[in-house]
Amino acid sequence: MSAIGDGRSMPTGAGLFDLPPELAIDTDVARRVIAEFVRGQLRQAGFERAIVGLSGGIDSALVAYLVAEAIGAERLLCLMLPYRTSASSSRTDAETVVERLGCAGELVEISPMVDAYFGRPDTGLVGAAGPEGLTASAVRRGNVMARIRMTVLYDRSVTWGGLVVGTSNKTEALIGYTTIFGDAASALNPIGDLYKSQVRQVAAAIGVPETIIRKAPSADLWPGQTDETEAGFSYPELDRLLFWLVDRRRSVEELEAKGFAPGLVQWALKAIAGSEFKRQVAPIAKLGPRTAGVDYLYPRRRPGSART
Amino acid sequence: MQPLRIALAQTAPRLGLLDENLASHHALIGQARAGGAGLVVFPELGLTGYLLQDLAAEVAMRLDDPRLLELAAATASDGPAGLSAIVSFVEESADHRLFIAVALLEDGRVRHVQRKLFLPTYGLFDERRFFAAGDLLRATPSRLGVGVGLTVCEDFWHLGVPQLLALDGAQLLVNVSSSPGRDLAALNEIGLGTATSWRMLLRTYAQLTTSFVVFVNRVGVDESISFWGGSEVIGPNGEAVFSAPLYDEGLYFVDVDLGDVRRERIALPLLRDERLELAVRELNRIVSERAGQADDSTSEPGAEPGLDVAAR
Repeated sequence: MSAIGDGRSMPTGAGLFDLPPELAIDTDVARRVIAEFVRGQLRQAGFERAIVGLSGGIDSALVAYLVAEAIGAERLLCLMLPYRTSASSSRTDAETVVERLGCAGELVEISPMVDAYFGRPDTGLVGAAGPEGLTASAVRRGNVMARIRMTVLYDRSVTWGGLVVGTSNKTEALIGYTTIFGDAASALNPIGDLYKSQVRQVAAAIGVPETIIRKAPSADLWPGQTDETEAGFSYPELDRLLFWLVDRRRSVEELEAKGFAPGLVQWALKAIAGSEFKRQVAPIAKLGPRTAGVDYLYPRRRPGSART
Repeated sequence: MQPLRIALAQTAPRLGLLDENLASHHALIGQARAGGAGLVVFPELGLTGYLLQDLAAEVAMRLDDPRLLELAAATASDGPAGLSAIVSFVEESADHRLFIAVALLEDGRVRHVQRKLFLPTYGLFDERRFFAAGDLLRATPSRLGVGVGLTVCEDFWHLGVPQLLALDGAQLLVNVSSSPGRDLAALNEIGLGTATSWRMLLRTYAQLTTSFVVFVNRVGVDESISFWGGSEVIGPNGEAVFSAPLYDEGLYFVDVDLGDVRRERIALPLLRDERLELAVRELNRIVSERAGQADDSTSEPGAEPGLDVAAR
């Protein structure tokens, strides 16, 4: 932290990460708003507990910390859902979060579920998808893993009696780096309006372990995978671009004048438009006098909607 | 000295639950009275919650609704100490339009109703889809001994509103709000862009109208939206008398001296010096020009009717 004129301190990444100045937020206010949001959503839905899938990465770690801050760690269940090839460090980091928070934590290996569908390429065992499943692409396998994890989370939400809290951040939601009905699914999302750089800022403020803040973001679908090498961007630069494009409504010409690489700008525009379907509820063919989402418009948490 | 104790009810209304909100209003009116307040102010749609959408018709009240009259009855004076209450709800008119309304309740009755004039329908707001806009703006006399001007949230983002109310006799301008907090920032006064903007305009209006400004904003959460509270009382010199904390629900008591209005208006006679006839003349000219009924002698070639500068 470096001091500025009025005595308040200018937030920086403090050496942990690169924080573009225009993205810096007051983390105290953010934490306060999010805590009220989590409590309000749960209360309106008639729940007191929450469940979070911990990957070992920063997004889900931060969500676990925020939920624990909002409702108390004793009301939080963290599920660790590794596949055979998931990095062992991911599991260690997730376990650290559970230990530090003192919340309930459970391990559910998803390997049998995934293998039962795709089969085992290493042994030749054919799964429910048939022989073709043995050669499924990494994207297909990753999507199925994300959806199986969400299947488990929603099932355990019944036995735990808590809502599933989402862990998608604004950056990945905007570029569509999510699996629809997989990691993008949730009952409520406290960090969906925070860019990755802001996730890091709040994570540092709330005390997420430094090893988790420092490590390169990864979907952990194959050994050594990272978001930034896979997609060819750096999060601070992409976050800045998205901030000026989306939040500050700058045109392509204005973005290029600001120094953003034309290739990155075009890539982002295409990624955003191409993933619009992931951010919205599926359209219903309009036939009757009142149609949900079109001209039948009620708040999700309307009177009578709470679980009793 | 004209002392007045104002109670700011920075509440978190329950969305769509009119009966629960009525009960909490009755309880808070009781607390305000017990605390010696002469005026208690509730936030915009404090009786219904904000993000109603199609629920609006289901929680609407006519002005003769027994539940509203019962709430008004709670302001009946028992002994010398009276209490005025400013509450907000969905009003259904005789021709079944729905308005966001704010009402001054005192002496056991509904003294004055002001319908929200400006319905934001942009960005995160969708009010015009569900509500009708009011057409009348009036300051009202009050048992408090000063004129009161009632406004609802967005009404205060239109410069003419506080000025018209002050010119119509208001010395106490009240804005009730359901302002969604947004635009988190690191380096402004309080870390929230919305709060910074509001604070600036509340102080400016108080100073320029040489009036007290009372701002009551709700807290709590409707769907994605968090309301930031931060209710305030600003003196007629533009300085804050009281600022409630952001996001904390509570009933906050503030003591003011209404005599400050006279002192400020003597020292700074801005209202005395207003040129109403000038404003009316120029407004009429602009209206005529925009309607294409008069030539604009100062406009550039190519400018839209009523606008002096051409698009570039």
